[in-house]
Amino acid sequence: MLAQYFESQGFSTVLVGFVREHMEALTPPRALWLDFPMGRPLGKPGDPDYQKRIIRSAFDLLDASSGPQLEDFNDTIAVQDGRMGYALPVDLVVSKDEIGDVDSLLVEVQEEIAGLACDYESACIARGRTTVGASEVALADLAPYIAVFVKGEKPSSPRKGVPPIPLLKLVVEDLTAYYTETRTHRDSIDDIELLGKWFWEETKAGQLILWLEAVSLESDDRVLRQIVDMSLITPRFWSEGPLPGTSASAW
Amino acid sequence: MVKLAEMPAVGRKFISELEMPEFEQQAWVDALPPAQRRVSIVSTAAVSRRGEKPFSWLAKDYRAINKNDRDLVMTHVAVEYDRTAWQQDLNTILPFERLEEMASAGEFGSVADEHYAFMGAADPRDMEKSALEVAARMKQDNVNTVFLIPV
Repeated sequence: MLAQYFESQGFSTVLVGFVREHMEALTPPRALWLDFPMGRPLGKPGDPDYQKRIIRSAFDLLDASSGPQLEDFNDTIAVQDGRMGYALPVDLVVSKDEIGDVDSLLVEVQEEIAGLACDYESACIARGRTTVGASEVALADLAPYIAVFVKGEKPSSPRKGVPPIPLLKLVVEDLTAYYTETRTHRDSIDDIELLGKWFWEETKAGQLILWLEAVSLESDDRVLRQIVDMSLITPRFWSEGPLPGTSASAW
Repeated sequence: MVKLAEMPAVGRKFISELEMPEFEQQAWVDALPPAQRRVSIVSTAAVSRRGEKPFSWLAKDYRAINKNDRDLVMTHVAVEYDRTAWQQDLNTILPFERLEEMASAGEFGSVADEHYAFMGAADPRDMEKSALEVAARMKQDNVNTVFLIPV
């Protein structure tokens, strides 16, 4: 639809996209369908030739004299079982009464974070950038901020203009990014299933966020319940079923 | 090939129930010859420069990004898509370096100074005002070609 707005203003447009059925229905003027996991429209990190192949395939559509033009990119990045990103196993759900000592887990998370620090710094130097920091909460304060919610409390937001729960979401994403930026650099891996399984199923930080999910599902705070129910904290969007214990009504 | 019908239940239900807007008229603007094309990216990845206001969960607004900006953060409401690629290489969502290389090689005219990010989970029908603002800024930058890149 954005293409329509820009064409109406005199620009020629070309887009890439992931859901072919939507591209067929919307009939944008020029579109290249990518059989890729969502989130990586230029395909492969650190592969300039592959990225240029995609751009050239898209830009070739600009040479067409009429449209709509919908083409398929001539390569696939495989996904597992039709899911376009990592999804937690349906049976990996913590109930609130299974939650143990939050402070003890917090100590373990902080130790885990410290153990990754050297490799994280190496990743930042190698890439010349980091995506950690959207929350503007210091690294040392990320897990403690989450832990307050796990204890059933709602802290005040340390960031002006961003309420506590939207900030919680950014904090969770910063913590996740710290881990995955480190691991992709340290072990030279680019595998969304492996990275998702490692973070969510094997790390203490992942466990802390699963505890957050359990508490949030029974929270009196409607917004907190809703963002978990809508898979905006934990990755359940590509699951074969709604989060157990919820109505999935938000969907 | 991943078809909608083959996607897992939760995502399939959500995506298949999204309302598709209908247009009275099919848009089409002939592209200029490659050497005259000046290209700007419009991303729906909700990226912005570090320190800027985060995108809200139903954001209709946009952020401008200079082609030399590298210190970017993402505040998209959704978490169902892969974020590990852009963590490793900005070019996987904003291919500034690739476009510069291709323009330098003469594959097209030039890369715009400014590029734009929206928050793709919001309803695009609510983005028209912002899109028209972006279009006006693009005209100031002599852009004539828009490369739309979702996540």
